[in-house]
Amino acid sequence: MSAARRPDADAKVRGAVEFGTDLSADGMWWGALVLAPVPHGTIRAVDLSAARAIPSVVAVGAADLPRLLGGAAGDPDRPAFPGQEVVYRSQPVAAVAAESLSLAREAARAVRVEVEERSAVADLEAVFPEWPGPEAARSPHVAAHVLARHGDVDRELGGAETVVAETYRTAGVHQVALEPHACLAEIRDGRWTVRTSTQSPFGVREDVASILGIAEGSVDVEGTWVGGGFGGKGASLLEPYALLLAKEAGRPVRLALTYREEFLLGRSTLPLVARLETGVRGGRIVARRVRLLLDVGTSLPGRDFATGYSIGFLLGPYRTETFEVEGFAVRTNKPPFGPHRAPIAPQAAFVAESHLSAVARAIGADPDEFRATHLWSEGGTTNLGQRVGPFGLAAALASARARAADWRKHKPPGHGVGVGLGFWSTNTGAGGEARLTLNERELVIEQGEREIGSGSVLVGLAAVASRRTGVPAERVRVDYRGTTEAPFDSGVYGSRTVGALGRAVDEAAVGLLAELGRRLGTPAPVTLTLQDGAIAVRFGQEVRPLPPLLTPEERSGAGLVGAGRHYGQAAEIDASRVVDGTFYPYQDFTGAAHVAEVDVDTLTGAVRVVRYAAFHDAGVVLDPAAARAQVEGGVAMGLGTALTEEALWSDDGRLLNAGLLDYRIPTLGEVPPVEVTFLEGYAGAGPFGAKGLGEPPIIPVPATVAAALADAVGVHPTELPLSPERVARIVKAARPSGGTDAAHPG
Amino acid sequence: MSATAPIVTVNGRPVSLREVPGDERLLDTLRWRLGLRGTKEGCRSGECGACTVLVDGAARLSCLSLSRDLEGTTVTTVEAVGDDPLGRTVQEAFAEEGALQCGYCTPGFVMALTGALRERGRSATSAELTADLAGNLCRCTGYASIVRAVERARSRSR
Amino acid sequence: MTPVELVAPATETEALEELARGPAGSRAIVAGGTDLLFDLQGARPGPTHLVSLRRLPWRTHAWEAGGLRVGATEPLRTLEADPRLGQELPALAQAIAAVGSPALRRQATLGGNLGRSAPASDLAPALLALDAEVELVGRAGARRMSVDRFLRSSRSTALLAGELVRSVRLPEARPRSAYLWQRVRPANDISQIGLAVAFAPSPGLWRVALGGVPPRPVLAPDAARELAGDRPAAREIASAAERLAAHPALVSDRRATEEHRRRLAAVLCTRAIRTAVGEPRDPP
Repeated sequence: MSAARRPDADAKVRGAVEFGTDLSADGMWWGALVLAPVPHGTIRAVDLSAARAIPSVVAVGAADLPRLLGGAAGDPDRPAFPGQEVVYRSQPVAAVAAESLSLAREAARAVRVEVEERSAVADLEAVFPEWPGPEAARSPHVAAHVLARHGDVDRELGGAETVVAETYRTAGVHQVALEPHACLAEIRDGRWTVRTSTQSPFGVREDVASILGIAEGSVDVEGTWVGGGFGGKGASLLEPYALLLAKEAGRPVRLALTYREEFLLGRSTLPLVARLETGVRGGRIVARRVRLLLDVGTSLPGRDFATGYSIGFLLGPYRTETFEVEGFAVRTNKPPFGPHRAPIAPQAAFVAESHLSAVARAIGADPDEFRATHLWSEGGTTNLGQRVGPFGLAAALASARARAADWRKHKPPGHGVGVGLGFWSTNTGAGGEARLTLNERELVIEQGEREIGSGSVLVGLAAVASRRTGVPAERVRVDYRGTTEAPFDSGVYGSRTVGALGRAVDEAAVGLLAELGRRLGTPAPVTLTLQDGAIAVRFGQEVRPLPPLLTPEERSGAGLVGAGRHYGQAAEIDASRVVDGTFYPYQDFTGAAHVAEVDVDTLTGAVRVVRYAAFHDAGVVLDPAAARAQVEGGVAMGLGTALTEEALWSDDGRLLNAGLLDYRIPTLGEVPPVEVTFLEGYAGAGPFGAKGLGEPPIIPVPATVAAALADAVGVHPTELPLSPERVARIVKAARPSGGTDAAHPG
Repeated sequence: MSATAPIVTVNGRPVSLREVPGDERLLDTLRWRLGLRGTKEGCRSGECGACTVLVDGAARLSCLSLSRDLEGTTVTTVEAVGDDPLGRTVQEAFAEEGALQCGYCTPGFVMALTGALRERGRSATSAELTADLAGNLCRCTGYASIVRAVERARSRSR
Repeated sequence: MTPVELVAPATETEALEELARGPAGSRAIVAGGTDLLFDLQGARPGPTHLVSLRRLPWRTHAWEAGGLRVGATEPLRTLEADPRLGQELPALAQAIAAVGSPALRRQATLGGNLGRSAPASDLAPALLALDAEVELVGRAGARRMSVDRFLRSSRSTALLAGELVRSVRLPEARPRSAYLWQRVRPANDISQIGLAVAFAPSPGLWRVALGGVPPRPVLAPDAARELAGDRPAAREIASAAERLAAHPALVSDRRATEEHRRRLAAVLCTRAIRTAVGEPRDPP
């Protein structure tokens, strides 16, 4: 099948789009960061004099902030540069700029940083060698605590016929967008102006203003083409430093991370430990207790979102009348936690699904049958009492089971086939606004958001506007504006672009059509069409040219303007079940069931995924090619989480594998053919029934690969990633006479 | 060492290397001296393939190549590869198959596949060509559409 | 900062003269440059002169009297494309295919890989098992030594100041040879274990070499001694695997634990010997 040509395809195959790393300006200087040499310590000195002594160099540190910011006080909890204490290794403590990059690097090396080292803790299990009780919620090591319960878990577990208790551990993972963070800052007419590769220009504006203590209205942020985001480019990272350098240098400054720095100070998803206990009676789950320790690095209290959102994924999409969930966001001396395509949901789904299978096997039940009998029903509620709307997960599971049964019939020895589920929600709660302008030639969507690659802006928003108005997609253009001109939007994250911002675009389109109807004086529905190559208005059987309906100002300007906004309301959860902390409701349920077939080398532990099928409820699919591409890409990324990707931290907070050689994302050879199927009939809250699809495809992958592995070797893993060494270890533990002995015949 | 001015030919144009320091990488010469920023900087250590260019027709990592050491060679970048029918075919194959998302790895893939097709000629199999792309990382597409583009380019270039 | 100079001597004599100039450490040799440039990022103090070998007539390989001579600057990709390599020296062909990516192999050279004594080299174990020699050249003349003597430690070789690797010599065809590796990710990764075996027809002896172990790839004569003749019995192979698994070079680092390395060494030893003699990888 040949995909419809993306509007950015021709430019991208010629390398003709400008990413953050490609920015330059006349008279530009090059920035470099000075990074903390220890994970935790008291700053004795950050001496910039040697750097400043080099001609054509400027340097800025904490001491310069009052001068550069005119006495403004930034958020004391996250200053641009720390004044007293460094809390993770590689935390920027100063920045320099120079007329060349090599000179900037030399100047950065010349900065003398004296830090009196203090004890650091990088491993969350070292923070809490014993599992913490609720009293630990007020520990300085805890950034957030959530606790919810319903019923008497201890009593139900006590009365269960079978109780399965397990502990799971998953590794930290990096986003690995191929484009490193990069921006170009300039003080233009007294305004703090920055062009940057970001998933959220407005988010960067808010961050910059807060960190520097300046008014949002004095900050202009303009997005560039984004060379991959995956959650890693949602918040500001380099922009405050680049702006400070530009201010000091009095000229534009480009600041970009090296790829090594991308690993060292980018915000990544960190390890978790989960303990689950499940009681079964009469073939049914009667009670569950789920406990989570999530490493959030140096995330600030009150800024942890992952725990209260993602802990629900540890329960999975399964009904449990009696339950208790408790999560701790644990602070360690690492960079702050950052979202990574469905933050911790793939890890949590691995835990939830593997545990459910373990429970099923403990009572002699078929895991997939056991899944099906406990699945939430459409129209029912989640464990936290949230209503479940149209949801095709049961149908996806049925399709996946049928495919798995088929593959099992033909699988060779050493192979295993497994099924895994994952659910997610479209973040329709985060707000966004849209402005459309219509003239005879084109329909323009004025946008602050830039295309990050998924197609959600260029393909998705255009599809919404096209489908609503009737203007062919090739006549819909997305026009990027900086934050000062563009309508506000929250950002291209959370699988929300089409589902939430798309609703604002849809509302703007509806408004345009209604205005044309008013001007025509017709009660008939109005749409747009092409007539002799020009956009024209159709109502009933009539087609009229557009220009006579426009005012002189509209004709001479951009055209007729339509505006829309969407600020969704958060769904409700049953507050009586919440004991402590903030649980974030899900917005619009999406889900998938995946099937994998793996070939396991039981002697070396190597796992090869030989084929893969993904069944998704994505609501109404607006662009099949883009949707399929999201699933193919998400599955490959999930295979990395499942098999090879693992941030290795030393006990003292040093990242040991800060590079693409030792942090191993899948290459072409490791990704099998992926069959993609969308289940129709479960309309979401987005325009035309669309649901978000950016994140869901990655979620079931580790669970699915683990299930296939368990099918092949008869024992299920409790740690991610499923590196050859881990697999060999669990195979050996399960078959004490197997393992290497098989290599010694006779 | 050589008395005459050292020259490398980039996209058909002779470029003097006289001012280029001996440790400057081709990647930096292309991007910042010549303004050819279609060649992307990723890892700078030979692991991602985003900076792949053609040197005398063969795919090469510009981040691990010293510009001065390429004296006398012919360098082709993504900006000019489409001037050649084979390169144009490869670009078309990627565009038609939608074998790109963010587009950051795309120039490297286009150059690597063009080089592989040129090196292997008409008898190239899809398996050989995809193996030749093992050093090019893509985080968006999951490679599925890229494999389809390889097949399309292979059948078109025969 | 004084810019770094790149010089490309036209002859061996000029190259050796260039290397003799300046203080120690001021000259770095560029063969393919892949490993050097990886290392040069931010290295201080770095070399003041890069000495490129590209104009020397060493970009060649030749089959001589049953053996193979590989010029130090011959790209791996060119060697790989020679069909004789897979027939006569399969272990070397398999080791070359394991190095980096195809584009990297177009630049990377055998001489550079040895000369820089890359610690996790996939090539060195194959060269050790194939009993390869390196030919060195300096102003005092040329000398030859085994790869085993040449490799000292990680990033350390028997090269004297001002000396260059001129060629690598494989003494004879060893069709019964194999190189196997194990990695976390099959493509473009560092091998946790690289295992080369080769049967030398003239003395009728096996050589076994281990890579992926710090500080440099090593021979495993204890394991090799368990193997007799060109088609070792299953029991001999099992003994060799057991001996190899006890090799003291197998230790823990961040890429693998000692336990896993010992397991892999045994498994790959068995498989490599069976592959070398043309039997199915795993015993039935």
